[in-house]
Amino acid sequence: MIPSATIYNPQSAKTLIDEVIERSNQNIYACYQCRRCASGCTVGEETGITPDVLIRLIITGNREEALDNALVWQCVSCYTCGTRCPNNIQSGRVTETLKKMSREEDVIPLNPNIAYFHDAFVQGCTRWGRVNEMEFMGYYELKNIGKHLVNFQFKKAYDEIVLQVRLGASMFKQKRLHLKLHTSRGRKEVKQFYKMALKKKATLKNDKKSGIGFRLD
Amino acid sequence: MEVAYYPGCSLHQSSQFYDLQTRRIFSELGVTLTEIDDWSCCGATSAGKFNDFLAVALPARNLGIAEQSGFKEMLIPCSGCYSSHLMSQTRLRSNKSLMDEINGELAFKVNNHLKLVNILELFLEAKDKGQFDSRIVKQLKGLKPACYYGCMTRFAYDVPVSDNVENPQGMETLLTMTGAEPRDWSYKTACCGASAAINDPDTAFNLMGKILKNAVKTGCNCIVTTCPMCQLNLDAYQEKFCNKAGIYERLPVYFITELIGISMGIPLSEMNADRHFIDVFGLVKELELV
Ligand code: SF4
Ligand code: SF4
Repeated sequence: MIPSATIYNPQSAKTLIDEVIERSNQNIYACYQCRRCASGCTVGEETGITPDVLIRLIITGNREEALDNALVWQCVSCYTCGTRCPNNIQSGRVTETLKKMSREEDVIPLNPNIAYFHDAFVQGCTRWGRVNEMEFMGYYELKNIGKHLVNFQFKKAYDEIVLQVRLGASMFKQKRLHLKLHTSRGRKEVKQFYKMALKKKATLKNDKKSGIGFRLD
Repeated sequence: MEVAYYPGCSLHQSSQFYDLQTRRIFSELGVTLTEIDDWSCCGATSAGKFNDFLAVALPARNLGIAEQSGFKEMLIPCSGCYSSHLMSQTRLRSNKSLMDEINGELAFKVNNHLKLVNILELFLEAKDKGQFDSRIVKQLKGLKPACYYGCMTRFAYDVPVSDNVENPQGMETLLTMTGAEPRDWSYKTACCGASAAINDPDTAFNLMGKILKNAVKTGCNCIVTTCPMCQLNLDAYQEKFCNKAGIYERLPVYFITELIGISMGIPLSEMNADRHFIDVFGLVKELELV
């Protein structure tokens, strides 16, 4: 489904545009809807909605649709859109910003797996200082399979387990799995950065709730 | 010549053989790679989706370590790691207060003068300096690689890159030097889907299907890449996405180091090339390159 981008709400547009521009560092006002980004977008065919439409949604103040659509979640951060844009707008940075905003505003991710995946990765790498592929995949799969179980989708959970066990087995056979724990001695610093990031996230969320708007730092 | 070296998590795990090959070949070319001490994960693309501060702070730690160890230049073979370090550097350059905040937590502070290079840049530099002269002992005749760059080495956050953005030529230049005949094809900078292979497989398999289809159509007999993520994806899932896309051919997915290695007379077995999912020995044997 391609969301409508025709309704213009000047008030919500201003706050939405300001926030996106400030946080993504991209001047989306410069977009003149030429759609070069759209023709190059890696996932455009899958999502139906392309970066130009997303920018239009923001400019017209359609907050809900801008925060809750397939492109925000399925964008693979390839930045092809940015290299092609005549106005140097990196739409990939815009989708990354919207992803964060949508979670701050408790929008349920259209594709929760993608959200789990990135969370598991960040937690894994900040716990040990380095990512342990096995460990972080384990966490991700637990969450993913757990989600199916909670929803009583036993067949889905089963399929996922079979798929992952097969992949794991072939990785093991090709000697591409490593069981040793990889760590960095300086992980205290990394953990500290993680704590600071969590705090910044919480502040952003609280400010929004109490109507102050957003504040970066 | 001594260059700092950041392997990153995947070169210490699922793509360990790429690490081995990189060290071996550069050492034969007379370039010493010194792994920086106690590096940490760069956060890959996940950190940027979690929090902006974290995405800049994680790579910054490694930049600080390399700089304080006295290096001027750092090689990052993994495209994802390369891109996130470049992004961090650029952000720090334009935001003094962010840099101060991050430096406040770091034992090895960043002052942002490190030059980051990817593996192609370092190879091309070696070529220009003549370090390959008389090292190429085997002409890779009959090898028709599809040079696959993927997206991460070129789209690093408004940072100018050394190669052409739409039609990079670095790999072609190197492989032509080894006697291979790289083909012109359309998907060299397309994205393989990266982590979507795990968290959104339908999308990723479609993307990879298109890449392989075009490589086959243009008459390539193998794919070459520099990125461990691209390599793993196109290799480990090839059976799956080809079946899905109705492609009968299977192409070996080499790292650039493997082809350069063969041309320098290093046996594939010494480069741990048995770690591939799609066999890489058959083609080079058939062409009598090994
Ligand atoms: S390429 Fe740039 S200017 Fe054109 S529609 Fe996309 S974002 Fe707008
Ligand atoms: S970065 Fe995202 S929006 Fe831009 S081309 Fe890639 S997938 Fe599409």
